[in-house]
Amino acid sequence: MANTDFYLDNDEQSVLIIMTSGPSTASRCATPFFLGSILAAMDAEVRIFFTMEGVRLIQKGVAETLVAMEGGKTIIEFMRDAKAAGVKIIACMPALPGYEIDIETDLIDEVDEVVGGGVLADLILTSDKVISF
Amino acid sequence: MVCNECEFKPDLYYDAEFQIWLSKEDDGSLKVGMTDLSQSIAGKIMHIRVRKPGTRRPPGKPVATVESAKWAGPIPNFIDCTIVEGNIQVLETPKLLNIDPYGAWIAKVIPNLPVEEALSGFLTGDAAERGYCERAKNDDIHCERLT
Repeated sequence: MANTDFYLDNDEQSVLIIMTSGPSTASRCATPFFLGSILAAMDAEVRIFFTMEGVRLIQKGVAETLVAMEGGKTIIEFMRDAKAAGVKIIACMPALPGYEIDIETDLIDEVDEVVGGGVLADLILTSDKVISF
Repeated sequence: MVCNECEFKPDLYYDAEFQIWLSKEDDGSLKVGMTDLSQSIAGKIMHIRVRKPGTRRPPGKPVATVESAKWAGPIPNFIDCTIVEGNIQVLETPKLLNIDPYGAWIAKVIPNLPVEEALSGFLTGDAAERGYCERAKNDDIHCERLT
């Protein structure tokens, strides 16, 4: 007997994930990308906005070695899965200097855009769903 | 045919990265499934959902969403098509994709172009076999099947 719960019938929506967690709380750093991958695969337009300590994850050399749990995939692998599913990665420019991250040389290639805080405000107001980790 | 323990079927049609396979059906539809490479990369598949039958899917819009313990993502779609149905056996028992990836089709779709035209961008036969083996070797993918 066919179960209609197996079928996807959602409208296309935009989702903003605000990523504030970073290496000091590594266990919080995989799920946002996993969730972003699923949402993108379900046709949502997904953006992950890195701010506060979250910007450490888009600093070269950090996510490549960080894991959320012992023996698990690295955070960069979760990020690449999300990118492959269509998630956009956006960096908060004002958060970078506080972590001594150079916009020209220190960001991983997966970053799509580096923007100011006003863009975050605009995304919050225009996205259908906003989630913060 | 096997490369790095990954099974290959020369009669199917494959995308350039060998993520999915397509097969031509007598009624003009196409069955879509995951390759042995894809199911091995994903690991044990826990959940799969297919777009509602009757939904038109343009190129780039996935036909289904797959979730395993370590990976989540789309079953990519490269053609303009309409979903006919999902494979209820697979939807109810997703690990069939790990056990028999070429038998466990995920969805049946009708291309919105003539079948041959829709399949013109896919690889099949010897060309597909070469690309499949290259992908397995270059990415060091070794396939395992659940039993």
